Amino acid sequence: MVRLVLGDLRRHPGPAALLVLSTLVATAVLSLGMSLPGATERLYLQTRAATAGPDVVVVAPGRSRAADAALRSLEDVPGVAARSRTYRTFFTEITTGGGAVRAAVLGADAEPGPIDRPLVTSGAWVRPGGVVVERGFAGALRLRVGDRVTVGGRSFPVVGVAVTAARMVYPWATMGGPDGGPSDRSGLVWLHERDTRALAGADVPAASLVYLRLRDPGATAAFRAVYHESHDPAVRLNAFTWPFIAHQGAVYLRDGQPILIVGGWLLSFMAVAGLSTLAAGRAAGQARRAGLLKVVGATPGLIAVVLLTEYLALALLADAAGLALTRLVAPLVVNPSGSLLTADAGPSGPIAAMTTVVAVGVAILTALAPAVRALRTDAVTTLAPAVGRPDHLVLLSRLAGLLPVPLLLGLRLVARRPGRALLHAGSAATTAVGLTVLLMVDAQPDQGWDFGGVTVADLMDDRSRLLLLGVTGAMAALAVVNTLTTTWTTVRESQATMAVARTLGATPGQVTAGLATAQLLPALPGALAGIPLGLFAQWFFGHQNTPQPVTPWVWLVPPALLLATAALAAVPARFAVRRPVAETLRAEAA
Amino acid sequence: MQDAILAMLAKEPSHGYDLGLRLRRALGPLGGSMNAGQVYVTLARLEKAGLVVHERSAGSPDRPDRKVYALTDAGHERVTAWLAEVNRPKPDLVEFHLKLAAASASRLADPVELVDVQRRELLRRLAEAQRAVLAEPEGSTGGLLLEGVALRLEADLRWLEACERVWSRRAEA
Amino acid sequence: MNVLQVRDLTKRHGHKHGLVRAVDGVDLDVPAGQLLAVTGPSGCGKSTLLHLLGGLERPTSGQVWLAGQRVDTAGERALARLRRRSVGFVFQSFHLVEELTAAENVELPVLLAGGSPRAARRRAGQLLDQVGLAHRARRQPWRLSGGERQRVAVARALANEPLVVLADEPTGNLDTAATNEVLRLFADLRAMGQTVVLVTHDARVAATADRLISMRDGVFVDDAWLGGPAGRLGDLFAMGD
Repeated sequence: MVRLVLGDLRRHPGPAALLVLSTLVATAVLSLGMSLPGATERLYLQTRAATAGPDVVVVAPGRSRAADAALRSLEDVPGVAARSRTYRTFFTEITTGGGAVRAAVLGADAEPGPIDRPLVTSGAWVRPGGVVVERGFAGALRLRVGDRVTVGGRSFPVVGVAVTAARMVYPWATMGGPDGGPSDRSGLVWLHERDTRALAGADVPAASLVYLRLRDPGATAAFRAVYHESHDPAVRLNAFTWPFIAHQGAVYLRDGQPILIVGGWLLSFMAVAGLSTLAAGRAAGQARRAGLLKVVGATPGLIAVVLLTEYLALALLADAAGLALTRLVAPLVVNPSGSLLTADAGPSGPIAAMTTVVAVGVAILTALAPAVRALRTDAVTTLAPAVGRPDHLVLLSRLAGLLPVPLLLGLRLVARRPGRALLHAGSAATTAVGLTVLLMVDAQPDQGWDFGGVTVADLMDDRSRLLLLGVTGAMAALAVVNTLTTTWTTVRESQATMAVARTLGATPGQVTAGLATAQLLPALPGALAGIPLGLFAQWFFGHQNTPQPVTPWVWLVPPALLLATAALAAVPARFAVRRPVAETLRAEAA
Repeated sequence: MQDAILAMLAKEPSHGYDLGLRLRRALGPLGGSMNAGQVYVTLARLEKAGLVVHERSAGSPDRPDRKVYALTDAGHERVTAWLAEVNRPKPDLVEFHLKLAAASASRLADPVELVDVQRRELLRRLAEAQRAVLAEPEGSTGGLLLEGVALRLEADLRWLEACERVWSRRAEA
Repeated sequence: MNVLQVRDLTKRHGHKHGLVRAVDGVDLDVPAGQLLAVTGPSGCGKSTLLHLLGGLERPTSGQVWLAGQRVDTAGERALARLRRRSVGFVFQSFHLVEELTAAENVELPVLLAGGSPRAARRRAGQLLDQVGLAHRARRQPWRLSGGERQRVAVARALANEPLVVLADEPTGNLDTAATNEVLRLFADLRAMGQTVVLVTHDARVAATADRLISMRDGVFVDDAWLGGPAGRLGDLFAMGD
């Protein structure tokens, strides 16, 4: 049986490759999309574990004695197991080669205490005269170990880059700021305590904070409910529990997730569209094979197993490859700021199971109908060449009489397989949706983040754009594959018809044009329908409330899609035309 | 029967017993039904007609029969005419079969050529029959009879094809 | 005048076990108005010969002239033009365009040759009437019987008034009654002076021709004239002894 499967794969490597490719892309995007909820939280947990992250960070504005006393008194709050010493954060500008940037400067110990031990990812930890830059911030400013930054008028070398779980991810390092209110975006740097004295002397806005360890790390809500009672009410304390800090990272993925999930389902649809076309194209051959197996005495069960095994094996292979791809890409997607550790960011078990179910579903959907048909048909009839029973669409027939010959042939080929035309139209529409959204988003001005002196790239927006580009690229790739598949299948099915047309004196050009027309006709309404759908999707998932003006580029989508479809369809069509007529006719009659 | 025996004698003079043996071999399983006496009766008739003569040979102890038969000139002429003759309207299977065997044995004619000639004749007839069939409207009783004629001609043609295959292979061997 | 002229025509098919000579140095002249049958066992090269005559395959060597025009060296476009105007094909498995109705199948060659839709429709109506299928014009091929399909195919072959009709086992998939229907049609064509080359392994079909060529292993082994004087039917009924 294994030999039967392998033999078939060897003889038809093309369809197998298409099956693997389509399923791979769909499962990769889908698993990535499904990995997003909770993905950054997971990364945060890893970071927290690796850096002995605090359970609560309590911040007091300013650096007064009252604030220090209030912070110290927190260790008496029920449930608190340990407290760090009081640290100071100064809100100032640091100057890099690119200009002045707002930053939060934390006065750190050369040897970090038991709570919050930032993990150095390159270079070394702070020492007097050396600054360590938080990884997300360093990435945005393109700072490396050895670069120099000016803090409070003094130039420091960057001695290290580190991550911590005690701060929100870049660019929300302010955490309450000097006044405890809503804060501007900024990044985090660590200076040795001694080096911050200059800042303290210069009266730079500052805040004080302690890190707390709770007896039960899950009891943060209880802590929040009671901590106000234990200290001087004149001091406004602000507690950031670790779940709250963790949650901030997910903001990045707010826009990305619908892109990936919706894109993943659309891609799955395209994969099913392409694959079922492919399977239909091979159905005749499969039925014939089943017939042959029946003749030599194979049981229906064995035949079904052989037919399904092939598709299932390929689908599982593609699924595994898709998940592996997700594992590779996921850290880049879920940790755009780079402020968290990314040791393990792959799809979880349930997600892997889910995409496997989808992949197997795709395989079964595509293979089941032909397999059942192959089994139910008599052995003898399957061995005879298939006789098509085309659908009779009267309207199309009447219309066709008025058209030039290639159009007439193309129209008839479409009318023969309305289901396939529908799938093809859907595939074209999906691609048009992707392209429309991409164009609309691209038309929005990229504003970037204001960091005071300099403007830093808006990582959130960039991330969304990148994801959108990736998903649209995958859609375009699948659309290419689908167009080739559909044309290839149509070519196979209409081989006899086209050979006959050539015996009647049709030129190779007319035949190619006919086949290309058969692809263009369904692609046209698909491409047109894709635009309003894309505009709707962009409005629905986008976060601006007012509809944007439609960019004129969008109107280029249908003609571009149609041109691409025609060009792609012409490839297999041309290839088919090169085959000698007599050979085709002989093969048909045999 | 007469013609076949004459044709066999054309190769070389033979005993009646040998002739019977050769006839039986040529006819295959069908030869089993042939009466041995038939050969002698036929030889006697042919002798009376002046187509064969016999002479006594020095007998050997195991051969009681000592008459060796040979063709006369008239007999030779008759054999040549028989081989050249196209059987019409359709060949008697046995006779045509023996003719091919005799032609091959005596080398007086090429069996493949005999088949060819016969085939052309049958084709010509089939063409006539077929035209007549097509001239009749579908389902007429007259057409039915013509259909029978055409089918029999077709069967004969098929048999000739088989003859051609076998004898042309023999000629090559 | 010879409609078809063939000189020293050879076609070899590449094969795993060396070359197979499907047609091996054949000469042939087909005068206008002749109904020529080529017969022989399967694999003797008769179908290949027909494909070579119609330019569906290219010969390994030798020449084919159709109405004075070289077929073997013509380009794809020239061949397409030639097939439109000068050749009509009829095949064993009908090879009708399944997506089109009977009438549209007949219209197709006219349209391909640049005829107007109206001219095509008129011609199709006329031809379907001629083959007795005017009442089936709107049906698609799968709703027709075998004999009807082949008659549509013959009508389609005639659509552009070709110089020659090339028929490859036109009755191979038909029962006796349908075979006779199609053979009557060929007899009509012959009566109209249409040149036809018919390839068949069926002696009864071959016997309807004016001239019968027998092929074996790619060569002609016999070339017989069958169009003898009619009216000797009497002979047929004298059974053997």
